[in-house]
Amino acid sequence: MIRPELGLSLIVVAAAAAGLLGRGSRAEETQTFSAGRAVYTKWCAPCHDPGVTHPGTHALTVKYQGVKSGVLLEWKDLSATTVKIFVRHGISVMPQFRKTEISDQELDALAAYLARNTPSK
Amino acid sequence: MRVPPGVSQSDFSGAIAEFQGVVGKQWVFTSDEDLDLYRDAYSPFLNEPEERMASAAVAPSATEDVQRIVQIANRYRVPLYAISTGKNLGYGGSAPAYSGCVVIDLKRMNRIIEVNEANAFALLEPGVSYFDLYRYIQERKLKVWIDCPDPGWGSVVGNAIDRGGGYTAANYRNHFDSHCGMEVVLPNGELLRTGMGAIPKAETWQQYKSGCGPWIDGIFSQSNYGIVTKMGFWLMPQPEAYMRCTVSLPRYRDLGPMVETLNYLENSRITAGFPDIASPLIGYPPIAQIQLWNESGPPAMTDEHRKLLTAVELGYSRELEAYGLKSQIPYWQLWLSFHGPMEVIEAQWQATQRHFAKIEGAKFSIVDRVSVPLDPAKIENYHEPEFGIPSLRAFSIGARTPWNPTPSKGHMWFSPIIPRTGAAIIEANRVFSQAARDLGMPLFRSFTLPACFWERSFIFILATPVTEDAATNKRYREGFKRLIEVGGQHGWGEYRTAPVFQKSVMDVYSFNNHALHRFHETLKDAIDPNGVLSPGRYDIWPRHLRGKPS
Repeated sequence: MIRPELGLSLIVVAAAAAGLLGRGSRAEETQTFSAGRAVYTKWCAPCHDPGVTHPGTHALTVKYQGVKSGVLLEWKDLSATTVKIFVRHGISVMPQFRKTEISDQELDALAAYLARNTPSK
Repeated sequence: MRVPPGVSQSDFSGAIAEFQGVVGKQWVFTSDEDLDLYRDAYSPFLNEPEERMASAAVAPSATEDVQRIVQIANRYRVPLYAISTGKNLGYGGSAPAYSGCVVIDLKRMNRIIEVNEANAFALLEPGVSYFDLYRYIQERKLKVWIDCPDPGWGSVVGNAIDRGGGYTAANYRNHFDSHCGMEVVLPNGELLRTGMGAIPKAETWQQYKSGCGPWIDGIFSQSNYGIVTKMGFWLMPQPEAYMRCTVSLPRYRDLGPMVETLNYLENSRITAGFPDIASPLIGYPPIAQIQLWNESGPPAMTDEHRKLLTAVELGYSRELEAYGLKSQIPYWQLWLSFHGPMEVIEAQWQATQRHFAKIEGAKFSIVDRVSVPLDPAKIENYHEPEFGIPSLRAFSIGARTPWNPTPSKGHMWFSPIIPRTGAAIIEANRVFSQAARDLGMPLFRSFTLPACFWERSFIFILATPVTEDAATNKRYREGFKRLIEVGGQHGWGEYRTAPVFQKSVMDVYSFNNHALHRFHETLKDAIDPNGVLSPGRYDIWPRHLRGKPS
């Protein structure tokens, strides 16, 4: 399995090089993504990294039946708002996360990171 | 702003302002939106009026802050409820036992004060998770193991004071038993250290448990007599090797001798790893395989086998046993694991086989024989906590999978302790399956096997689902309470439970007109006369709240 942090940093660098990143400077975006990736690695990866050994990924794979990937990192229709709703409200056996666990600032970074492949409207 | 019952708006505002003075405004939460984050994500009262709710939350970062918060709460008579990481899902989560409490959220107190490799111990604050401690040890390449429960995001301190368990060697699996020394903020704000820590220049706080005089650590577990702000733990030196083996037995009647032999071998420390009982013939997995079954599906079974299983009683029929003998499918399979130098564990396995060979037809197999640490690429092949590696893989229980198309909203753990005998397994199944059938509870529907987290006793740990439907949740809550009573009538009690069930469980511990409960109350009155700390936790109420519906 490709280590997600490595794979994703390549995606971010490639996206930045291709001028695909939206608002803000590239340096700022990369910094935000780096912070967001750190939050993802600590709080989300144990359930949402690729593979059936990650219950969140397994659940989403079964839910979407091949219509889209069960791996959050691959989604191209995940808005920052949606990320924030699920983190603060939970779903199924995933609990909500308190601000002492993921602060608002960290959640902003996480949401921007997970929404990085989603075109902004 | 929400206000705790019995506290005036102006007093509460005064307390909140003082809390803000201690920790800063950013770490005092009073809005509904922020307080919803403190709801029990698996509450059996999901979205019902009885669901336990906080009136505020305050998140200190240091022991001195905890002391000041407790002193303020005493002045204003504001009830508090302490949580560590708030992740004991299925046992209450981050919600208070009594609605209206101000939650003291200790997550920010996340310092790993010491990990001592030479003498294999750690000293931690309550916000440290198993993931945090594991990462710290790995980054420094220290040769010690932690012992963790299945969900790795829990607090090492919190799990121990909730008396949780894990999966490595017997003397580390009981997390409260493997602690050594505490620092506690008492309900009046005073700071106490237990064991050798009571000596001002203590040099052995994490090396000798009891100090001198009455050993009081136990009263700070599953209670409301203090807030634990530091706790020491004995760690297991990283073993050189690991071996997992199975003992397979062909007949139903072999269950009793199997348990008796296991007890002798475990109590003699000939085997010390997590013993895991399965029944390939009944189709009951060992705990170590549950996550694999959830991920890849249960093993294939013939139609004939499946049909035979529909006609068994208490896991038995003569036809099923004959099918197992003919098809060489073991009735019982005991998974044993060994940690240590290879030459030692090979010898332990030899002795283990010699003892089990007394049971006719016993067969032996080595499943794994590996050196430690494991190859990182192969960790996913194992049940990680058996190697002291934290994970969240166990959340496949309840989550959506091909074999569970309707995920639950959470679960409440029914977890009675029963004797370590084969006869007790059968008797508990008889009693609980009858009761569960009568109550329409989704437990004990087939023959259920207990777990060996603790030495000397068995425990069943069975998930009762929490759903989105209030009527179903109500039926399960009432059934759950009835199962607690039924267990009590047979001399069995829960080891731990969610706040919703704490009164029912403690009512079972009723010897001599509830002498134990009355003693708990006597202690409460002496230690916490204003009744500010975690009222109602494990049914210990301060005087002014006794006899009121919780």
